[in-house]
Order: sequence, then structure tokens, then C-alpha cells
Amino acid sequence: MLKSKIAALILLFVFVLVTGVVVFKFNLIRARGSDECFACHEDKTLAMDVNGKKKSIFVDPVLFKNSTHSAFDCKDCHEGYNPDEFPHNPKKVKINCRGCHEKAKSLENGVHKNNDCADCHNPHNQKPAKEMKANQTATCLKCHTNRNVTDYNTSIHAKKNVGCDGCHKSGHDAKKITKGEVVQVCGNCHGSHQKDFNNSIHQTVMKGGNKNTPTCIDCHGSHKIVGNKMSIESIACLKCHLDEKLFPGDQKGSAKFVAKYKTSIHSSIQIDGKQAAGCVDCHGNHMIESTNDPTKSTVRARMMETCGKCHTKEIDHYYKSSHGQAYKNGDNNAPTCFQCHGEHGINSVLRSDDFSKINQTEMCLSCHQDNRVNKNKETHLNDYKKSFHYIALQNGNTKAATCSNCHGPHEMKPASDPESQIYKKNVDGTCGQIGCHEQEKKDYSGSIHHTTLMSKENSDSPTCNSCHGAHQVVNTDSLGKDQGSKQKGIVKLCSNCHASVELVRNNNLPNVASNYNESFHGLAVRGGSNKAASCGSCHGNHNIRPSTDSLSTINKKNLGQTCGKCHPGADNVFLNTKMHILKAETDNPMLFWITRFYILMIIGVIGGMVLHNILDYRRKLKEKKAGQ
Amino acid sequence: MASEEKYLRMTLNERIQHFLLLSTFMTLVFTGFALKYPEAFWVKWTMFFIGKNAFELRGVVHRVAAVLMTGASVYHLFYIIFTRRGRKLVADLWFYKKDLTDLFQSIGYITGKKDERPKLGRFSYIEKAEYWAVVWGTFVMGATGSLLWFQNYFLPIINVYGMDIATAVHWYEAILASLAILVWHFYFIFMNPDVAPMNKAWFTGYLTRHQMENEHPLELEEIEARQHKEKL
Repeated sequence: MLKSKIAALILLFVFVLVTGVVVFKFNLIRARGSDECFACHEDKTLAMDVNGKKKSIFVDPVLFKNSTHSAFDCKDCHEGYNPDEFPHNPKKVKINCRGCHEKAKSLENGVHKNNDCADCHNPHNQKPAKEMKANQTATCLKCHTNRNVTDYNTSIHAKKNVGCDGCHKSGHDAKKITKGEVVQVCGNCHGSHQKDFNNSIHQTVMKGGNKNTPTCIDCHGSHKIVGNKMSIESIACLKCHLDEKLFPGDQKGSAKFVAKYKTSIHSSIQIDGKQAAGCVDCHGNHMIESTNDPTKSTVRARMMETCGKCHTKEIDHYYKSSHGQAYKNGDNNAPTCFQCHGEHGINSVLRSDDFSKINQTEMCLSCHQDNRVNKNKETHLNDYKKSFHYIALQNGNTKAATCSNCHGPHEMKPASDPESQIYKKNVDGTCGQIGCHEQEKKDYSGSIHHTTLMSKENSDSPTCNSCHGAHQVVNTDSLGKDQGSKQKGIVKLCSNCHASVELVRNNNLPNVASNYNESFHGLAVRGGSNKAASCGSCHGNHNIRPSTDSLSTINKKNLGQTCGKCHPGADNVFLNTKMHILKAETDNPMLFWITRFYILMIIGVIGGMVLHNILDYRRKLKEKKAGQ
Repeated sequence: MASEEKYLRMTLNERIQHFLLLSTFMTLVFTGFALKYPEAFWVKWTMFFIGKNAFELRGVVHRVAAVLMTGASVYHLFYIIFTRRGRKLVADLWFYKKDLTDLFQSIGYITGKKDERPKLGRFSYIEKAEYWAVVWGTFVMGATGSLLWFQNYFLPIINVYGMDIATAVHWYEAILASLAILVWHFYFIFMNPDVAPMNKAWFTGYLTRHQMENEHPLELEEIEARQHKEKL
């Protein structure tokens, strides 16, 4: 019994054992094999000498158990290894992944055909394909450590999660992108830009066989994809377009021609932190255009549209200006933006060197002289160079006015236009603009000249340029220089109107000129005195008001003070007679009668003397003859 | 020839007085009319010749001449008061009834109605009129000129009203005086057939007998009568 019980127990034990072996056979075997390997290889410090170099032969058992290869035993891959020998693989048998991974054959023709699978894949930590793909870029960058490629990390592609595979294709199909393929590759995502580029002059030239033509990466960089305007220009456009070997000569399109951009205001100023215009702002970015094509942004016909993208106000003014109107009416000589501002060397009055006020004169005069633009109207323009404005500019006073200060830089309307800065009623505002002749404008407004012009709509009444000249602007120092004295100049100036028979009659002006000319003041000024009073000495220069105005220098109240400037005795005298006696009979009767008396006396006395002497002479001659 | 005889007309003192009057008068006329006619060719030429400050110089010269003339006038006043010859001068220049008859005689003669000239004394009615005209003119011009010169002092007193009158008087009196000298005085000194081409008495001091016979027969008679007396 006991024997049979023992036999039954043994049988049960064997059964359990056999069943367990059968069930766990593989696991047991593998576990036993791998465990055996891990017994040594889980040591992190474990290493072996390979050609004199220490190579870690540590395998992380945890990672391995989580990897897709966890089902395999070490020996499945490490064939022919002998655990008792060190090293285990004296024959240096290579691990053949392709035994299992037949698909990976595509590598044989790929860029990575000389690489081991292990360069990308970690067989002890092999991940599923999805996970591999997600981390592909990091995997690539493990080997591709040159600067050009690592710049990818800062690129917009990196930020937007476009990985290496986005362009180079994934995994085993990875490939180089040739110059001819670049546009197509980028175009996969950037379709509209590709389309633009295909219409660009760059593309046209490329099709013509020019190998220097840029594609996407020449401007944006291959891996460090840049979108910043100024960087593109400095590294891309100008890299080629400033190269005199590529663009020789000094014609349009040459490197020298483009180089002018570097001196332009566009390249140098920043307004409100925004960078000024770069190449692409005018030429377009992908659809870079030839200036020969009439539809392109940089041709004359579209110039205003192009510049107007930023300079809206200026373009608006331009269209309303004489220049703009002439242009609209098809005048081929009418200037557009670049005629004045240059093409690449875009200049502005904000810069005082190349496009200084003084040079502006030359530019305007390059068309506006010798009646080239306006018949019979431009002979006086050269006079600007004799003006006080120009002389001041030459002497370094950059505040002095040049053409644009009066005509408006873009407004430039004819004087006949009521909106023009040089329309007669607007002239005082123009000359008196802030920073210029503000005080003079203040003095002038309220003067009889001003009120007559403004409220009575009488265009005979003078404004600034009527006296100071339009182009040959004079100041009081130069006034009358050609006539000997400032006073003479002023008298002559006022006489232009106040001694003009027609103007005096039409405007009912007091005819004071002849009276003044016969007065001591007038005689002295005519005689060359530079002290005697001219018109302005009493009436003021800009602030000329009628005597009835209490603010007038010739108001009875102020007359003593006015005369007192020269005649200290007159300070406190209430002067009782009209200064310009037009009708002595009522203005100064005594003067009238004394004058009458003298005239009669002179005629009577001298007449009598003449008569007496004639008779005397005749008689005495007669007697003398008789005597002989 | 009797004409070689000489008769004293003006002493050296009188000639100097006359010369002062003459030179200042000419200067005043020139500088005065230069103000009034600044565009006249002779003014422009002078201005051009003098140069930059010609106008101011004109004023200065005018005033200097005026002061000199006034000085000469004051001296003359002393001369006619304190010297015998001076007092005689005034007495001889005073108007008498004879001057009126001389004038009528003269008018008759020069119009051919009478054959005889008036028998004129040391000073004819012509010369008398001239002398007193000069006295009057000097006074008027001196007075109005002073008003204009010291305008800043007089302006509060006579006002612009008075200044305008002073200016006018100074002007018309100047015309009158200048024309009188030109028409009246110069005629008798230069053109008068009795003395042409010039009566040199103003710098020689003497008249010829011929001139005396023609111009001052009465004085000649008196002189000869006196000489005759002395001889006796």
C-alpha cells in the first residue's frame, strides 16, 4: 500500500512536473537563457575592449522587456555565441536583422545603405514603428550633427513639428533632395508660394539653364528655415545681387545698381520699431519680378501702388498733385516716385546727406528750368538760387526752405488750385508754417493786406510772395541792394501797387506815393539816405494797418511813438496834421495859401525881371551899335 | 584913355564879404537842389564821384554853408552899424523917390519910348532891390532852415502843420532867390552889354570910367565934383 501510495505520489509529481515543463517549457528555457546573459549584462559598468576602445556591453533588462524584441532570446539574434568563451563571439559574426526584417531591403539603394540598422534602431530597446516615426527627427540628429542641420532646431519647421521626414521622407526611404527637386518638395506644403515662384524671374532664369538661380533654400536656408524679411535680404538677395561677378557693369540690374540700396533710407531707418522696406516689399517675395514686364510691381505703371503699400498718404497727395495729374493724363515725362527718390538708393529729406534740401533744388531744376515743363513760366525758377533761402541753405542752415517746403513734397499743386499751398490765400500759411516764419505770419494776419485778401476776396492785395518774391525770396537786408539802400527798395516795392495808376484807381487807394516822394523822407531816400523813413518805418512791414485801427502804428494814439523812433522830440506830441497831404486846401490851409502866394510871386517877380532884362539887352545893344 | 582910370567900387573887406556870400550861396543852392532833385544827372554824377555817404555829406555841407552865410550876415550887420563906410552903404542903398522915377525912366528907355537912360547914382534901383531881397531872403531862409534843422526841438512847438509850411517856404524862397540871382544879378554882371563879358569889380574892387559913365553917371559926377573941390 505504502509502496503504491509512494508510486502514486511520484507519478503525480512527475505529471505535475511534466505538465509544468510542457506549459512553461519555452519560457523556462528563454528565461533561463536570458537570465543567464543578464546575470552579467545588467551590470552597467560592464564593458569590453574593441580595437583598444572600451565599449559598453550593458543591456538594460527593463527596457529590453518592454521592447518589441522582448519575446526573443538573446541567442536569437546573437547567433553562434558561446557563453563560456570571452568574448562570446570570437568570429565577429554580424547580426543579421534582415533575417526577419525583409522589408528593410529598400535601404540597399537609399542614402543609409552603408549604415547599420543599429545606427538608428536600438535592438535592445526596439520601439513600434509609430513610436519610431514620432521620434525620427531626434534619431536623425544623433548622427547629423553638422551645424547646417542642427540649425533645424531653431527653425520654424521645428516649432511647427515638421520633422526631417517632412522633406526627406521617412525611415528607410530617406533621401537627398536635389536642387531640381527643392521647389517641388517645399511646394508640397507651400503650394501657393510654389506657384508664385514658378512665375518669377528666378524660375524663368533657372529654366534658361542658369545654375546660380536661387530656389527656396537659397533664400530661406535649407534647414534653418527663416521667414524674417531682413535676414532673407541680408543673407539671400544681397548675397547674390551684390556680387559683381554675377551682376557686372553699372546698368540697371547690376550689382552696383542694387548696392545703392545699402545707402538708402529703407535700409537704415526704423520707424516705430518696424523695419523699413526691404527687397521683397517692392519686388515681391516669391514672385520676384522683372522690371521689363509691364504687369510687374516695379514698373512705372505700378510704382505708386507698390510704394503706396506703405506710403499711403504720400501717394494720395501725389495723385492730386500736378505731377500725379500729368501722369494720369498720360504724360510720359511726369515723374513718379523713383524719378525723385531714386530706385534702390531711395532717399528722403529726413536724411541730410544724399537727398539734402540743397540737392533737392538740383533735382527739381533738372526738369523745371528753361521752360521745359511749363512754357514761359520757368525763367524765374533759377532765381531760387539767388534767394535768401538758398543762400541760407548753402551756409548750412538746414531749416531754410527748398522747393518741397513751399510746394509740398508730394502735394505740388499749381497756384491756381485753391487747395494748393501756393494758392494766394494759402501762401501766408505756407511761409508761416511751424518752424519757419511764424512771427511774420502772425504780424501779417490782421493787416489790411491780409483782411483785404481774405475777407474782401481782393486778389490785388499782397501776400508774402507779392513783396518778397516767389522764388528769388529776398529778406529786408537784400531788399534794395541793387538800388543803393534798403529804404529805396521798400519804397519801390510799395510803389509797385501804391503808385500804380491802375491799382490805385481800381482799389480806391490813397494816392500817397507822389506826396511821399516829395516829402523830406522821400527826397532823402531818393537821394540815397539809409536813415530816412521809408514806408515801412512808419507803417510797419507785415503788420500794416489803417490809421483807424487802434493797433496801427499810424493810429493817432501811436503816431507819436512811431515818429519818436527817429524824432525824439515827437514822443509825446499829439501830431495834428495828416502826414500825406493830398489836399492842402483842407489839410493845411495856411500851407495852401503860402504856396499860392509864392508861386504867384515867383511868376510875377522873375517874369518881370526876365522881361526887363530882355528889353534892356535889346536897347543897350542897339545903343552900342549906334555908338560905334 | 579915360577908361584906364579906376573907381573904387568894393573895398577888400566888402569883397571878402561878397565872396563869402557868393560861395555859401552857391553851395546852398547846389546842395539844396541836390536834395530836391535826387535823380538829376548832376546830382547823380556828384554822388557817384563822392561815393557812399554823399547824401549825408550833402546835408552837412548845406548846414556848414548856412552857418557860414549866417556868420557873414552877422558880420555885415556889425559892418553897417559900426563902420562909417558901412553906414554910408546902407544910406546909399536906402530907397528914395528918385528910385521910382529912375524905374519909370528906365522902363521908358528900354521900351524905346525915351531916348535917355535914367541918370543912376552909386546904387541903381536894380541893385537896391537886390540888396534888400538878399536881406529878406537870408532872414527867411535862415529862419525856416533852422526850424527844419532843429526839427526835433521845434516839432512839439509848431507841429507837423508848421513843419510843412516851413518846408514849403524854404523851398519856394530858394527858387525865388536862385532865379533872382540867375536872372537879375547874373544878367547885370555878365550879360549886360555895358560890362560884358563880366563886371570884374567883385574881385578887382574897381570899375572903369566907361562902366561908371554907363552905370553910375551920377556917382561919377559926384566923384569928379569932389575931386575938383579937392584940387581947388
